[in-house]
Amino acid sequence: SVQAHKEEDNPQKTMEVNGLTPVPNSYDYDLIVIGGGSGGLAAAKEAAKYEKKVMVVDFVTPTPQGSSWGLGGTCVNVGCIPKKLMHQAALLGQALQDSRKFGWQFTEEVKHNWMIMTESVQNYIGSLNWGYRVALRDKKVTYENAYGEFVGPHTIKATNKKGIEKLYTAERFIIATGERPRYLGIPGDREYCISSDDLFSLPYCPGKTLVVGASYVALECAGFLAGLGLDVTVMVRSILLRGFDQDMANRIGEYMKEHGVNFIREFVPIKVEQIEEGAPGILKVTAKSTAGDQIIEGEYNTVLLAIGRDPCTRKIGLDKVGVNINEKTGKIPVNDEEQTNVPYIYAIGDILQDKLELTPVAIQAGRLLVRRLYAGATAKCDYVNVPTTVFTPLEYGACGYSEETAVEKFGEENIEVYHSNFWPLEWTVPSRDNNKCYAKIICNIQDNERVIGFHVLGPNAGEVTQGFAAAMKCGLTKEQLDSTVGIHPVCAEV
Amino acid sequence: MGWEEMQVRGYSEFVRTAQSYHGRPIFALFCGDKDAEGRSWCPDCVTAEPIVRKELHNLPDESVFIYCLVGDRAYWKDPNNEFRRNLKLTAVPTLLKYGTPQKLVEEECFKAELVRMLFTED
Repeated sequence: SVQAHKEEDNPQKTMEVNGLTPVPNSYDYDLIVIGGGSGGLAAAKEAAKYEKKVMVVDFVTPTPQGSSWGLGGTCVNVGCIPKKLMHQAALLGQALQDSRKFGWQFTEEVKHNWMIMTESVQNYIGSLNWGYRVALRDKKVTYENAYGEFVGPHTIKATNKKGIEKLYTAERFIIATGERPRYLGIPGDREYCISSDDLFSLPYCPGKTLVVGASYVALECAGFLAGLGLDVTVMVRSILLRGFDQDMANRIGEYMKEHGVNFIREFVPIKVEQIEEGAPGILKVTAKSTAGDQIIEGEYNTVLLAIGRDPCTRKIGLDKVGVNINEKTGKIPVNDEEQTNVPYIYAIGDILQDKLELTPVAIQAGRLLVRRLYAGATAKCDYVNVPTTVFTPLEYGACGYSEETAVEKFGEENIEVYHSNFWPLEWTVPSRDNNKCYAKIICNIQDNERVIGFHVLGPNAGEVTQGFAAAMKCGLTKEQLDSTVGIHPVCAEV
Repeated sequence: MGWEEMQVRGYSEFVRTAQSYHGRPIFALFCGDKDAEGRSWCPDCVTAEPIVRKELHNLPDESVFIYCLVGDRAYWKDPNNEFRRNLKLTAVPTLLKYGTPQKLVEEECFKAELVRMLFTED
């Protein structure tokens, strides 16, 4: 057996780490949360409410380009928050153009300064990082900026950035390590390409950009970069927004194309080379067709990879404690109480198999789990009818089934789709597109025409969708929807 | 070298002093003016000051602690005063690490643990 001695705190306490012998009956902590993102922090703060002794270990392995960030996870640092702010920056650019038609007169040409925007966004993120640290400290949750991994039953090793290792034990663990962007595995990808992990703190304007991928990350980033005036191309292997309603996905793509985003369809990069160093430099991308032998080349200042995200579950010692993961995807299967196959180890957030990768879902799952563990609650996380929004230039809000999935599950003859184009009043005067905004609901004929899918493409889609999600949770039917008087003049009245 | 304290009054003096120490870690405590008897019009500042002072020994070497009186109550209540406009202060007392988003506001300043965290952690 291996005897591991803990530094400092309890020099007399030793543990047998051989996988068979049970650890001593008093653990360092009631709960250790591995990962300080949306799910992890929500769970930790909730546990502290019940006077549990909690520790959070959070560590960001720097990207190949050297980017790193503070406490708060992906959403706060390199996800939802900076994304929405930069999307807003792009929308404001559009609004400035529109404003002339509404009578605003300014003679100077309007230009965008990447550094000013990025500094403001990073400042705000910094205040969030600090706010989380204050909240944890205030609630007496111990926070260590260290990389946590299991080394034996009930035991993790936490390594800080100076390489100092400490061992901690806990009665229970919650794994909330989230994901990181995937690389292509082609020459030049890690040396020269960036990912969303780098984009929001990029210390120079990205310039002419190639976005590789067709995920919502790819389209949202391509969308706001183009909105800020940059030359943007999106390289797509096959379809847009896999998993989303494909009719809506294609409308989003069409809109982006008509508004200046170039698309290269059915190609994948095979090589990235540096032509010129710089910030940004010039990169040459060689790509191959997925439908034949055609090879194309292009030059860009920046190549942004957004081809998917992989769970951070391969290097946290799960094998040492016997937690099963899906070997192919790295995701962790859990039961409907977020428990892994090891009874004292739970998991929440993006790393879960077959669950939605969204911040509010992780937060909800984390809070409810902790309440079940420590407050005798029984409510489980409801993963059905979770609303989402994609913040592409034309925003897309959705809740429930896509048309394809509804047809698959209920049969085409049992569903009815009601749809409509609409023209936002605010778009009329500046003569913006009059046939692009669109909404549809999918109803289950056999269940009172219950609304099982809601999709809207238009400005403020997120704001519009939230209320409809609540209505769907209450069992909204088409008749109830029809009998609800609309607010005028707003997009949501459609 | 340890740390040193500078006492200033008003926005211009604060900015001048902070700029003169550019390159060193700067911490600042903003409080309401004190009357002739040394009492501030801001009751929370009265509570916070001794708690903050008790933690000053934790300041990193080379740092500067600026104790800044912002002005009288009327000046502070003006929503356009320079501290609010330029430094984005929302309340007194505020204890902050200059040039970073790290700050503690009002009752947060009463908590020695948080003050210590601000002074000692990155």
